[in-house]
Amino acid sequence: MTAELILIFGGMLALSGSAFVAFCWSVCNGQMARPREAALTIFDDDEPVGLPTDRFPSRK
Amino acid sequence: MKSQSLLTSIHPATVPDSLASHERAEIDASTRGPVLLFFGCSVFWLLVGSLLGLVAAWKMTHPGLLDSMAWLTFGRIRPAHLNVVVYGWAFQAGIGVALWLMARLCRIPLLHAKLLVSATLFWNLGVLIGVLGILAGDSRSVEWLELPGYATPILFLAYACIGVWAVIMFRYRRPGHVYVSQWYLLAAFLWFPWLYATANILLIWQPVQGSAQGAVNWWFARNVLGLWLTPIGLASAFYMIPKVLGRPIHSYYLSLLGFWALALFYSWNGMHHLIGGPFPAWMISASVVASILMIIPVITVAINHHMTMKGHFEALKWSPTLRFTVFGAMAYTVVSLQGCLMAIPSLNTITHFTDYTIGHAHLGLYGFFSMMMFGAIYYIVPRLVGWEWPSATMIRWHFWLAATGVLLMVGALTIGGLLQGLALYDPKVSFQSSLDFATPFRWVRGISGFLLLAGHLVFACLFVQMLLKIGHRRTGPALFTESKTEAASL
Amino acid sequence: MNKLPLFVIGVLCTFAFSWLGLVVYPFVKLGHLEPVPDEETGGYFPPTLSGAAVAGQQVYAANGCIYCHSQQVRPASLSTDIAKEVGPRRTVARDYLRERTVFLGTMRTGPDLANVGLRKTDPNWLHRHLYEPRSVTPWSIMPSYRYLYKMQKIQGQPSANALRELSGRHAPEPGYEVVPTDDANALVAYLLSLKRNYPLPEAPLPAAK
Ligand code: HEC
Repeated sequence: MTAELILIFGGMLALSGSAFVAFCWSVCNGQMARPREAALTIFDDDEPVGLPTDRFPSRK
Repeated sequence: MKSQSLLTSIHPATVPDSLASHERAEIDASTRGPVLLFFGCSVFWLLVGSLLGLVAAWKMTHPGLLDSMAWLTFGRIRPAHLNVVVYGWAFQAGIGVALWLMARLCRIPLLHAKLLVSATLFWNLGVLIGVLGILAGDSRSVEWLELPGYATPILFLAYACIGVWAVIMFRYRRPGHVYVSQWYLLAAFLWFPWLYATANILLIWQPVQGSAQGAVNWWFARNVLGLWLTPIGLASAFYMIPKVLGRPIHSYYLSLLGFWALALFYSWNGMHHLIGGPFPAWMISASVVASILMIIPVITVAINHHMTMKGHFEALKWSPTLRFTVFGAMAYTVVSLQGCLMAIPSLNTITHFTDYTIGHAHLGLYGFFSMMMFGAIYYIVPRLVGWEWPSATMIRWHFWLAATGVLLMVGALTIGGLLQGLALYDPKVSFQSSLDFATPFRWVRGISGFLLLAGHLVFACLFVQMLLKIGHRRTGPALFTESKTEAASL
Repeated sequence: MNKLPLFVIGVLCTFAFSWLGLVVYPFVKLGHLEPVPDEETGGYFPPTLSGAAVAGQQVYAANGCIYCHSQQVRPASLSTDIAKEVGPRRTVARDYLRERTVFLGTMRTGPDLANVGLRKTDPNWLHRHLYEPRSVTPWSIMPSYRYLYKMQKIQGQPSANALRELSGRHAPEPGYEVVPTDDANALVAYLLSLKRNYPLPEAPLPAAK
């Protein structure tokens, strides 16, 4: 009974702990170092920042 | 890699590994078959689902409606409606958007599209068999898992092909930064099989004993929404809003914080559907706390989207994608905050077991998720078929029908549900009056169903016209006629 | 550098956290409860179900009663359920260990059924109600389950199990009678079995009665 509880709660702590470590690791590894740059990855030379890419179809 | 980061450190605005426009067009084209098939099937199920929902809604005010045959009874039409809109419409629209986004963001074409096409067909077969099974009376009445045990393995197999594909794409992505949408998508693709397998094994194939089922059931039902559909919806918003505006997301940090908070807290939320139920108190308390902590990811996402949009709200006038997406993003904020409130036990005791919950569910699945998907589909399909949407007026009609429909529905169910809940709460009030209070609002809900169905018909009409290439050809691989000339004049 | 494995681990771990708490824990703790022996009669709490009642659960599931009816009594600290006489005491995990599918439900469009067998003891009432709810409760919005009944010509003597007291426009034409199918009988047996009025160590009955 208590063994079960220890197992489950211990497991939970271990898992959430490792998730947290993974998170910290990704921070340290520069995954978040240059946020501005990451935010820019969706733009390209021909669709640069400042160019809207969607509109209602034109009436002709 | 090295030289690239050197370059970017000198000139931060340079984007590493920029795609040439023809490359992007190639990537888009590689996704054409499966993504269009997913969208096409999802639109079909959307129509079926709205019709089923409409019938179920009117049965609540007219119990005699279509009541002579077993397969048309309320207790079968309603789960059929839910499963059709979730597994037929939402899943398939979501997978289509997710695959397209994944290919674009990983900057690689989608290979072996045929495999995905057959997975799609399998998925639809599973949904069809499952829904017929529900109508035939094979449902086990486990909410969100009504599809009978003989249909789910088909779905699971189909999903395995699709999910593996997404992970493979991510594995072989071109070097460069991982965009926040990719995080959301990859996580969703990893979470879902775990969720679905656990729930099916413990509830359908080898049901666990007793009320443990309730816990597993709501852990699943909540997480399908929170850890599968929500990440896809948010991934789409995090891409569409900046991309359409041409403005990078306000704070990339916040978006990552939001992601991890969502992962941690959302998965605990489910039990708030069972407050007062036959469970150990700590399980419910943990869920209540986690539900309230959901404020963190929700507010970060809301601030981020708002700050990105700030000063550019006039864009809602000219971009259909943005209009739907921003509506969805706002609904996400509202529905999540509403969810936090509903988890507070003293409010929950009123709203629990009433139409209020139904309204909440529709605000989430329709106001947020479906609107996001409409927005994404308006962006993606022209890039796949190389044509413009045939009619701006029809798009506007679709938007206004959908928006008023869902607001009317949620408003009616919320007020009606509160009145119903207060009547059910007060020991001095008879049960009958809880029905009397709810009935007028159920009429309004029924009417809103017509608006939504009409909106979906307009949308389906537009979609079919696109497939048949009725409308204007797009001039370049990237831009519409109008914005091209505008860009030139800038 | 490849961040994929790490990311995957992080994502799966956050998720595993809730999986353990909301799936594995209840599975271990709630999935292996035993009925409590009743010293007075030598029976068990909750009582065993008849075969018909077990079959009735299937009918209950197939026809989606759960979308309008819950089966749970919330504790007095969290609701007015007990004051509204939904049941004599709150329901606990052990109450459900005889059910193959647990119909806790999330809606109370209709009244809670956790203790319907205490309120409705007459099978004929339940049959009439299922056959045509408005024949007994004029304001009801519950759908009719007429398809679980057979309308047949009376051959000689009326059948013993034919529905009695169907009146007005719900009554069968003269010379005809309405008899329940096996499904209807099973469903009613199940409804009659729904009584959570026995004491359990974790949920005793209120003392003064
Ligand atoms: C559309 C919602 C709806 C569905 C589906 C539904 N019911 Fe009902 N039910 C009601 C309402 C409303 C009442 C209260 C009015 C009445 O007595 O008819 C009710 C009342 C009852 C009662 C009487 C309870 C009491 O304490 O008075 C029973 C028994 C019952 N339902 C059984 C069932 C069964 C069994 C099914 C499935 C075969 C079912 N119901 C499906 C709405 C529904």
